[in-house]
Amino acid sequence: MTQCQGNDKDRFYEGCGREGPVRCIFLSEFHPEAGPKIVCQVPSNYISKDTFESVSVYIIPKAQLQRSMLTVTVLGFKILGFPVKIDDKNYKRNAYYFNLCFVCDAWARTVQYESVVRKLSDYLVAMEVESKFLSSQQDHNVENARLPKILCQVMQDLNSHKMCTLTEGTMTTHLKVVRILQDPPPVLDHHVPIFTESPDLFQAEQWDLTTQKVLPYIDGFNHVAKIAAEADVENNLVKACLQNLVYYGVVSMIHIFQYSNIYATTPKLRRLAEDRRLQEDCVKYVARSPRQPPTVRDVFRMFCSMTRGTTVRDLCIRLSPHTLRINERRLVQFGLLEGFICRIHKYPVGNVEKPDPQSTAPQSFNGLLSMDEYCCQYSLTTQKLEELIEREPNIVVIYK
Amino acid sequence: MTSRMEANPISVILCESDSKGDRLLFRFPYATDSRHHGENCQQIRRRNPYAVTVAEDLLQSQPSQISNIQHGRLTGFTDEVLSTLFAVKPELCERKFELKVNDVRFVGHPIQLPAASTGRSSLGGSGSKLETSSHTTLINMVFALHATASHSIVKCYYDLSKRLGVALRHEEKRCGYVTQEAKIMVTAHDEFSARQGECNIDGAESAFDLILHRSTLAKQLKGVFQDLIHTGLIRLRINNWLQVSFCLPQKVHQIHFHRKNFIIEPEAIDRCLQSLRPYHGLLLLVEPSELIETLPPDASPALLRLVQVHTPLKSLQTLSADADLTLAQVFQLTGHLVYWAKATVIYPLCESNVYVIAPDAPTDLSSPFVERFSEQFPGMCLLQTMSEFSLPSSIGQKISPLLGSQAQAQLIRTVVWMLRHRLLLQLHTYVYFMASSRGLSWPHQEGSLVTGRGEGSFQSTPEEQLSLGLAGTWSGGHARSDSDASSISDDIVNLRAEKQLQLLQHRDHMSQNQSGFPNGLSMSPNMDDGSADGDKGHGLIPEELLADFSEAERVAILKIPAATNSDDLALLAKLYRSNYLRGLHHLEEIMYLENLRRSQLLQLLDKFRDVLVTCETEDPAIGIFYSHS
Repeated sequence: MTQCQGNDKDRFYEGCGREGPVRCIFLSEFHPEAGPKIVCQVPSNYISKDTFESVSVYIIPKAQLQRSMLTVTVLGFKILGFPVKIDDKNYKRNAYYFNLCFVCDAWARTVQYESVVRKLSDYLVAMEVESKFLSSQQDHNVENARLPKILCQVMQDLNSHKMCTLTEGTMTTHLKVVRILQDPPPVLDHHVPIFTESPDLFQAEQWDLTTQKVLPYIDGFNHVAKIAAEADVENNLVKACLQNLVYYGVVSMIHIFQYSNIYATTPKLRRLAEDRRLQEDCVKYVARSPRQPPTVRDVFRMFCSMTRGTTVRDLCIRLSPHTLRINERRLVQFGLLEGFICRIHKYPVGNVEKPDPQSTAPQSFNGLLSMDEYCCQYSLTTQKLEELIEREPNIVVIYK
Repeated sequence: MTSRMEANPISVILCESDSKGDRLLFRFPYATDSRHHGENCQQIRRRNPYAVTVAEDLLQSQPSQISNIQHGRLTGFTDEVLSTLFAVKPELCERKFELKVNDVRFVGHPIQLPAASTGRSSLGGSGSKLETSSHTTLINMVFALHATASHSIVKCYYDLSKRLGVALRHEEKRCGYVTQEAKIMVTAHDEFSARQGECNIDGAESAFDLILHRSTLAKQLKGVFQDLIHTGLIRLRINNWLQVSFCLPQKVHQIHFHRKNFIIEPEAIDRCLQSLRPYHGLLLLVEPSELIETLPPDASPALLRLVQVHTPLKSLQTLSADADLTLAQVFQLTGHLVYWAKATVIYPLCESNVYVIAPDAPTDLSSPFVERFSEQFPGMCLLQTMSEFSLPSSIGQKISPLLGSQAQAQLIRTVVWMLRHRLLLQLHTYVYFMASSRGLSWPHQEGSLVTGRGEGSFQSTPEEQLSLGLAGTWSGGHARSDSDASSISDDIVNLRAEKQLQLLQHRDHMSQNQSGFPNGLSMSPNMDDGSADGDKGHGLIPEELLADFSEAERVAILKIPAATNSDDLALLAKLYRSNYLRGLHHLEEIMYLENLRRSQLLQLLDKFRDVLVTCETEDPAIGIFYSHS
């Protein structure tokens, strides 16, 4: 909890996009006489009575908003709650309203806690229905100090381990903070998965069976369609599990390595020039043999020679990476992974002059698909497609 | 959901709260049927008479609301719920109000209106007015957004709510505008609910129809909502009096460049402006006449002047001289124009500029650009023209003497057109000094700082310190923005930039003879600096010139035949010493900072190609406007 205590203005401002720890957890309920109030708070008095009163309308809201995820950002706090109502004749107003809230700093990103709040609320609902766990609290608050202990445990465990297991009587629940990321882009047949970290670093057993079947074929060269064929797994399943791996940042997607590919440098290449550690990693990665690593200058020069219009084949002829002890395939991989270079795609646009309906080759190009995609779709080699396009005067090729 | 939708508002809601309680005055859009529908569904689900309430059932399958957006509209909230949510407690007034409910985020700036009986409106004050005066009225104008919208979008909407709120408060103070409009709205609500059983009033289907018909404020809110969706630009006069203008940069840029999944955040624009240099140029995205027409009558005359002298061929520095403005002013105006998507930053057009197709340029035949291009340039095809830049090519390469002057002008116009729509990207050459196989080296690395080395032998050292000192004293008014603008953290580079500024200011001085900065003092050392450097080159023997380099590098350099020419070697050493050979500065920047000609630099690069590595890539300051997916 203390890791972010130094509220550094530069790093933690509203909208910085960082995730923050849970600062406080409290349970509030609608008291039949006193109205909304905080029943239990950990640590105590984090949310003052005045603050609570000014936001109570968002914590014990109208009936329409029951079981909605509510997050209110006011007075430097961000309060996440999931208001719940339990209908039962035994309660004074025929219903028991409560809300378990997490409090974070106003700058923090909190979507990742939403499912936790929801699940913990459901757990409390179950306990309330079973044993009046919550509503009996108000009567013997001091003596029955079970709830503060639970909340304390949740807060500490979530902040330090991102997960928490609660056992109360016969009921157990597991809470886990899952990072919420953007959905990764769809995986296509011609994409090539490559590990971003060493596969030895994570246990293969924790993945599902399909993924376990697919993992051995990920080597940075096999494309999706080939992996599907070799692993004997259905193509779409492979794509789904690769997309999952991309989500968790275990693999990233690059393109099939071909000597006809064109790459261009990006401004990120500058990092390689200055960062000594990156240079060591790079030299090690692109070496032909581990005993004789290439020089940084040769590697850098080779990256710099990648311009639009220069194929890898041209580069190899010009610079002969073999004598420089550079493995050009690994060089391209490293460059793509680190973002030093980007692939330049060719987009053919236009129509074939004399369309031949019998032909197996594409007859019109709308400009939305790159050469790679056409090759994959029509099972053509790049060379064949390029020859076909070159013959057609009405088709232009755009590199981008 | 695509990010295209994220910048759009889902709804705008106006709430009021006073001694009589809170009420929702107006909301737009108001889809009555879908809302009732949603409500009914919920009621049916909950109060099904045949349903058995089982405890287990309650636990497992109680429906929880997941989404409050249906077909892009707000759903699941009645007016009463919204008004209780937005009628905030007084202690939450005059600050940001942000509430997220499921997948909708509400943002607003609640304001307190002054008591109605103060000021002029109390002239005819009756007893009833005195009563109300003890309570303040609260107004909250809330925008409902997609919860996934980025923080910068939320911030912009907050800003809009605040602007409108402040304008309303002013109008309330001036002539009780809000009270009057609120009265119209409340009356309409009352009328409608009183006659709900009967036939429709004036064909209105809901109270909001009536309000929209009668209230100017409601009409303006509707206009605001529609403008936000269609253009991202708002210009209105509250009560025909107070002008409120607002720009949602994320939206404006998206619409202008047709990049559906790429949002330019204001922070990115700020970063671009911070790395703006005097050698950058400005490219208007609209016709100057069109821009001048849309300016409000009280627009800054400086802006008018700038637009009038503007051409994509001129650098900001030249523009500032031509428009008779300070450089800082020009930078600021550039910032405005870029933010409002009226201009973009480029390197001034010249023959040696190298362009390629932008990584995010649409290449499909059905893109709207294709049609617009052939409208502008009859008989030409955009994709054909674009494909000529598939390989990096400079304008100079495209212009051949065989081309008529008309065709040349046409070529320039097409390039400008494509730059305006960000279809082209300029590549710059960056230079790295790599004499040893270990890679890049720079003077810092050897532990000898530029300023700390060889006292006496290098005249430039004390001078640099001198000019730095001067820059410090001089930075009062207009150096400010400029020294802010230099984003490169390196002290030495900052120093160069500052020195350059002085030079530049000196040029201002020379050309106009009416400079507002009477410090001829700072000029003279700089002038000396240039000439002294030149002289030095001739006099020194190579060994002394090579003092900055390590032993291995010296050997590598001396192997090159060109190293025997002390002029060439001096230039190389100078560039190295100034940290220009670290890939931080492109050729144009080096030319500008060191007052060199391109041919000089190119010759040097060629002569010392064994120790220099060049790399062609975009200027990162401008590159942030392109998505690199």
